Amino acid sequence: MTPGGTAPPSCFENLYTMTHSPGRWILTLGGNDLPEKSLIGGKAWSIARMRALGLPVPPAFVITTRACTSWLQTGEIPEGLFEELAAGMQWLQEALQRQFGGDAKPLLVSVRSGAMISMPGMMDTVLNLGMNARTAEALAAETGDMAFAMDTHKRFLDLYARIVLRATLPELAASAEIADWQQAIFEATGQAVPESTEAQLKGAVMAVFESWNSRRARRYRDHHAIPHDLGTAVTVQAMVFGNLDARSGTGVLFSRNPLNGDPAAYGEYLARAQGEDVVSGRHTPQPLSALADAMPEVHTALLRAAEVLERENGDVQDIEFTVQQGELFLLQSRAAKRAPAAAVRFAVDMVREGRIDTATALARVTAEQVRVLLSPRLADGATAEAELLASGEAACQGVGVGTVVTHTDEAEQRAQAGEAIVLARDTTSPDDVHGMIVAKAVVTEQGGSTSHAAVVSRALGVPCVVGCGAGTLERLKGRIVTVDGAQGRIYAGALPVLAPLEADEPLLRELIAWAEARAPLEVCAEDAPTAASALDLDKQKGGEDPLQLAALATGAESLRGAVLNSDEGVRAAMAAGIRRIHVRQRLPALLAALAALT
Amino acid sequence: MNTQHLALHGLALKKHAAAPLVAAAVDLPETEVTALLEEATRKGRAVAVQGGWMLSPAGRMILDGQYTRVYAEVRANPAFMQAYERFERINTELKQLITDWQTLDVGGQKVRNDHSNREYDEKIIDRLADLHERFAPVLRVLANHVSRLAVHARKLEHALDRVDAGAIEWVSDAKLESYHTVWFEMHEDLLRILGRAREE
Repeated sequence: MTPGGTAPPSCFENLYTMTHSPGRWILTLGGNDLPEKSLIGGKAWSIARMRALGLPVPPAFVITTRACTSWLQTGEIPEGLFEELAAGMQWLQEALQRQFGGDAKPLLVSVRSGAMISMPGMMDTVLNLGMNARTAEALAAETGDMAFAMDTHKRFLDLYARIVLRATLPELAASAEIADWQQAIFEATGQAVPESTEAQLKGAVMAVFESWNSRRARRYRDHHAIPHDLGTAVTVQAMVFGNLDARSGTGVLFSRNPLNGDPAAYGEYLARAQGEDVVSGRHTPQPLSALADAMPEVHTALLRAAEVLERENGDVQDIEFTVQQGELFLLQSRAAKRAPAAAVRFAVDMVREGRIDTATALARVTAEQVRVLLSPRLADGATAEAELLASGEAACQGVGVGTVVTHTDEAEQRAQAGEAIVLARDTTSPDDVHGMIVAKAVVTEQGGSTSHAAVVSRALGVPCVVGCGAGTLERLKGRIVTVDGAQGRIYAGALPVLAPLEADEPLLRELIAWAEARAPLEVCAEDAPTAASALDLDKQKGGEDPLQLAALATGAESLRGAVLNSDEGVRAAMAAGIRRIHVRQRLPALLAALAALT
Repeated sequence: MNTQHLALHGLALKKHAAAPLVAAAVDLPETEVTALLEEATRKGRAVAVQGGWMLSPAGRMILDGQYTRVYAEVRANPAFMQAYERFERINTELKQLITDWQTLDVGGQKVRNDHSNREYDEKIIDRLADLHERFAPVLRVLANHVSRLAVHARKLEHALDRVDAGAIEWVSDAKLESYHTVWFEMHEDLLRILGRAREE
């Protein structure tokens, strides 16, 4: 349906499944047809597409990019936009039988930005819009859960203040009342979050429009030659509740296991809860079988939806869902984040199942992921007899063996003299970075996963355990230890470390075969017979620097050397027209070479 | 402000460095810093090591004593202290942001972010750009009272520019003057100005 003439709100009756417009600026997302992405933006488009696939998604409407374009051109609110916004809300109310700003069964919505091309710098999603003193009370009465209503109200105030009013709020105690929040917001911004739900909605919509011109969005468009006058759409979607009764809940489903790549669906479910409860870690979710036991038909529908979405999108999906009074709603589906082992298994399995081709599979595994898989780890059973000296929070994975030194300058000097050093400090500061760079591992007595030691170690790729407690330094000083950064443990002595080989892993061997067929240069093992004729960059001054590779490699046909173990090194070799390189593990270099082609 | 103090302060921030880095840290001309550090070396406050300088133990003690005197006024200034409190709040946010940048939550487990998920990275850079914009007015207030602090604003801007141009290592690479590196140095600078110790 094309937007054109105006029509009264009553035109929505029985149109829950239709794409429809009350005028010039707004489209409801039915599912009977799929409007242009340029008109409704990527996020609304994916909602419309999910509905078109017959999947259950909370009802939504979209303010089209035309409204934003008009605002960009004139600097004025498009004529009739707010009237249409009210009509759109009327449609949502009828679809869900709830009341926006009402004192019984209140309707809450989310407001999000969405341009045709997904773009950084655009406004984040505002959730729970429609909360005020009145609707909080109504929600408390409906759910029988005053604490939930208050929490939802606070979360809304916090999001609205930060995203729409752009406030930096002080940290408030958990016991802070609504009035304390309002006071803090007023002090930080000189403004209040409106009590009127209509004013909240208009404020959020205009903030989306304004975010089109944020510094970051502008730079991104400049950088990628995207026109500045395309404008963004605004999606307004009903919120559903996972905490209304025993037949309500919320969860996350992965269409395959994102940790190890196992093909069985994997997920978590939390009965009588909202999505934020899972994320905040306030409650411990149960495995998906809890949902299968409680509501088998919902569980079946969920697995079927995951299958449809994985097939349609051609990749493993991460799906957020809510069950409201026995009815399943999918909130979001996107390509799943994955651990390195899962990335490899997904890629190979999906080719075998005929879902993707080998080129796509190779594009989904990075050289870095393979390097992590092949990085040294403690041999199986190595820690069984070992003496545990200290333990703390695992801050950066990897294994480091060396003598513990507690002074940074001493650590630097001894490491430069060729000794393997583990740097142990009370805490670290920028004064310690020069010692951390040369250490095999870093250990601290104090601090957590966001402490300086944790952050810098991860940036450097140095195994790190933080927060081992007072007295650790005295206990460790001068001893040879093995630091297991993945488990957060420090053992006495040098434990056996295992360096995995790609040739021992069948899945990696498969990827190597596919990659070789496409790679723009030959990647051979270090011990291949042809290696003898290769120019060894490790023996050249500056041979560790990718920037000097071209000059050093002049006249050479093939190369070897440690610099080729990095993406930058492989790219430099390709740019220098090298035909063959020799490396210890071939797959990372092959993947780096393929990635450089795209 | 006493330039001898500034040169020693710059050396304290940089730990072990040659004149250009020290000069950039405290916004003084390089030639002046070289002369000041040579003088400090003669007085036993600094030592020349491998083409750069380090503070001597005596230099460190003298410097710590100077902070109290040099920044007495600033420490008693309500506007400066209020801006500092805002910095502390944003600092907590930044630490979480950098941690999120470096780690991925995969099915409830933390794994290293290998930066293969562009959407995830872009979201965090969004947060960084937003934080940067909110922090700018705070840093302006701080620099109103200690003008050399403006040098951090220029460095943060430069790091974010690099990130915006696609060089994402400028978020937290410890070997570059990345956003996190500069932020940390600025934090160190502020802690010294106020005579406070870092809290992890």
